[in-house]
Amino acid sequence: MFSFVARRLAVAIPTLLILIVVSFVLMYAAPGGPFNSERPLPPAVLANIEAKYGLDQPFWKQIVNYVASVVTQFDFGPSFQYKDRSVNDVIAQGFPVTLTYGFWSFVVAVTIGVSLGVAAAIKHNTWLDYLAVGISIGAQVLPNFVMAPILLLIFTLWLGWLPGGGWNGGQWPYLIMPVIALSTSYMASIARITRSSMLEVLNANFIRTARAKGLPMRRVIWKHAMKPAMLPVLSYLGPAFVGMITGSVIIDVFFSTGGIGQFFVNSAFNRDYSVIMGITILVGALTIFFNLVVDILYAWIDPKIRY
Amino acid sequence: MLPNPATVESVAEAMNMAEIKGRSLWADARQRFLHNKAAVVSLIILALVGAFALFGGLLAQYENDFVDFTLIGSNAYKGVPSLETSHYFGTDNSGRDLFARTVQGTGISLMVGIVGALVAVVVGTLYGATAGYFGGRVDGVMMRIVDVLMSIPFMFVLILMLVIFGRSIFMLFLGIGLISWLDMARIARGQTLTIKNKEFVEVAHATGVHPVKIILRHIVPNLLGIVIVYATLLVPNMIIFESFISFLGLGVQEPATSLGALINEGSSTMQYGYYWQIAFPLFFFVVTIFAFFFVGDGLRDALDPKDR
Repeated sequence: MFSFVARRLAVAIPTLLILIVVSFVLMYAAPGGPFNSERPLPPAVLANIEAKYGLDQPFWKQIVNYVASVVTQFDFGPSFQYKDRSVNDVIAQGFPVTLTYGFWSFVVAVTIGVSLGVAAAIKHNTWLDYLAVGISIGAQVLPNFVMAPILLLIFTLWLGWLPGGGWNGGQWPYLIMPVIALSTSYMASIARITRSSMLEVLNANFIRTARAKGLPMRRVIWKHAMKPAMLPVLSYLGPAFVGMITGSVIIDVFFSTGGIGQFFVNSAFNRDYSVIMGITILVGALTIFFNLVVDILYAWIDPKIRY
Repeated sequence: MLPNPATVESVAEAMNMAEIKGRSLWADARQRFLHNKAAVVSLIILALVGAFALFGGLLAQYENDFVDFTLIGSNAYKGVPSLETSHYFGTDNSGRDLFARTVQGTGISLMVGIVGALVAVVVGTLYGATAGYFGGRVDGVMMRIVDVLMSIPFMFVLILMLVIFGRSIFMLFLGIGLISWLDMARIARGQTLTIKNKEFVEVAHATGVHPVKIILRHIVPNLLGIVIVYATLLVPNMIIFESFISFLGLGVQEPATSLGALINEGSSTMQYGYYWQIAFPLFFFVVTIFAFFFVGDGLRDALDPKDR
C-alpha cells in the first residue's frame, strides 16, 4: 500500500512541476508584455515597473523564482491587472465561492445519480427504468452552458422564482440554479454508470447465493451488491470533479457568482497572465490531488487491484 | 449403387446456398446496426444536418456577415423568423440573417468535431498500438506520458494558449487535437494487448515481418471496430468542447461563428423575448449531439462483441 501511494506521488509531483514550468514558458513566450498599452510608457518608467515585477531579470532566474515562490510559499505573485491585489488575493476571494457550489453540485450529482441508477437497476425494464434512462440520455445533451440559459429562462424570466444571478454570500436562492446547471450532466453519467454496473452485479453468482439463503432484497442490495457496484462510479468521480471545476467557468460567467472562473475569463480577455497562470496551476494541483485520492480509495476498496 | 444424379445436384445446390449465406464480420455488424431503429433514424438525421451545413448556404437569401442596419433596434417585430422577409430563422441582434449564420455555425461545429475525432483516430490508434505491441519499458513510458497529460486540466491550459497565441480557429484545432487522442490511445493499447498474442501475429513475427508492418497490417485493422465506435462517440464530445470555448467568446471569432457562439448570443438576448435567436442554434446543437450519441451506441452494439 505504501509503495503504491509513493509511486502515485512520484508521478503526481513531476506532473505538477511540468504544468507550472509549461505555463510559465507559455507566458514568457507571449508576444507583448502586460504593460504595453496604446500610449507607450516612457522607457525609464517601464524599466522601473519591470524591475518592480522582476521582469528585467534573465529568463532562468525568473522561472526559478516563480517556481520557488509557488512551491514553497504558494505565492503566485502580483496581478498585472488589479494593481492593488495579488493573485493570491484574487484566489482567496473567488475560490470559496467556487468551492461552495462545486461541493453542493458534487453532492447532488452523486446522491441523485446513484439513487436513480440503483433504482433503475432494481426495477429493470419497468417504467422507472425507462424514466431513468430517458433522463440520463436527455441530460447528456444538455451541458452546463445549455442548461444555464434554459434554467434562467424558466425560473427567472417566466416564473420569477429565483434571482437571475449574483452570489449574496451564498444564500440558497442564489445557489439553486448554479448547482442544477453544473450537476445535471454529471448526475446523468453517474446514473448510467451505476445502472449498468448494478445490473451486472445483480446477475452475479454471489447475489443469487445471497437470495437463495433467503436474505431480504434490501439487505442483499445494501450489504452485498452496493460495494462492488460502486467501483466504476468511484473511478468516474475524478473526471466528474475536474468537469465541475472546469464548468464553474461557465457558471461564474453566466450567473455572475464571482468564483475563480469569472476572474479566469476576465483575465483571459485582459491578458492578465499571472492570474491565468495562478488559477491554471491551482486547478491543476486540485485535479492531480483529487485523482490521487480516488486512485488510493480505489486500491483500498477493491481487493483485486494489485499495488 | 450409384447415387441419384438429382440428389447430387440438390446437395451441391445446398452447399452453394450455404456458401452464399456465409456472412463476414462486417456484414454481420451492418445487419445488427440496421436493426437498431434509433441508430438508423439518427444516421438519417445526421445526414440531413450534414446536408444543411453543406448546402444550406444555397438557400440562404443573405450573406452570413451582411448587416441589415434597418433592423437594428427593431429586432422584436422586424427580425422575427418569416418566409416573407426570407429571414427563415429571423435575424440576430446586429441584423444578420440567422439562417445563414446557423448554417455556418453548424458547419464549423461539425468540422471541429470531425477533425478532433480524426486526430484521435490517427494519433491515438498508432500510439496505443505501438505501446501495446512493444510492451515492457516502452509501454510503461508511453502510457505514463498519457497519464501525465490526462491529469492536466486541459480546458484551462487551452484557454491560456488561446490568450497567449491569439484566438484563432487554428489554435482551437491544435488544442482539441492535443487532448482528443489520449482516451483513444488507452483503448487501442488495451485492445492491442489481447490481439498481439493471437496466432496470426505470432506467424507474422516468426516469418520476420518488420514490427512497423505488423502494427500497420495486422494489428490496426483489427482495432478498427472499437476505434470507429469511440470515434463516433468522441465527435459529440468535441463539439461540446468547442461550443464551451466559443460560448465563453474565446473560440471561433467573428465574423465566423459556431453553435456555441450562437447559443451564447441567443442566451444574452432571450430576456427581451427574442427566443428564436437561441432556439434555432440550440435545436441544431441538441439534435446533432443526440444523433451522434445514438449512432455511436448503435455502432457499439453492432461492432463491440463484449456488449452483445
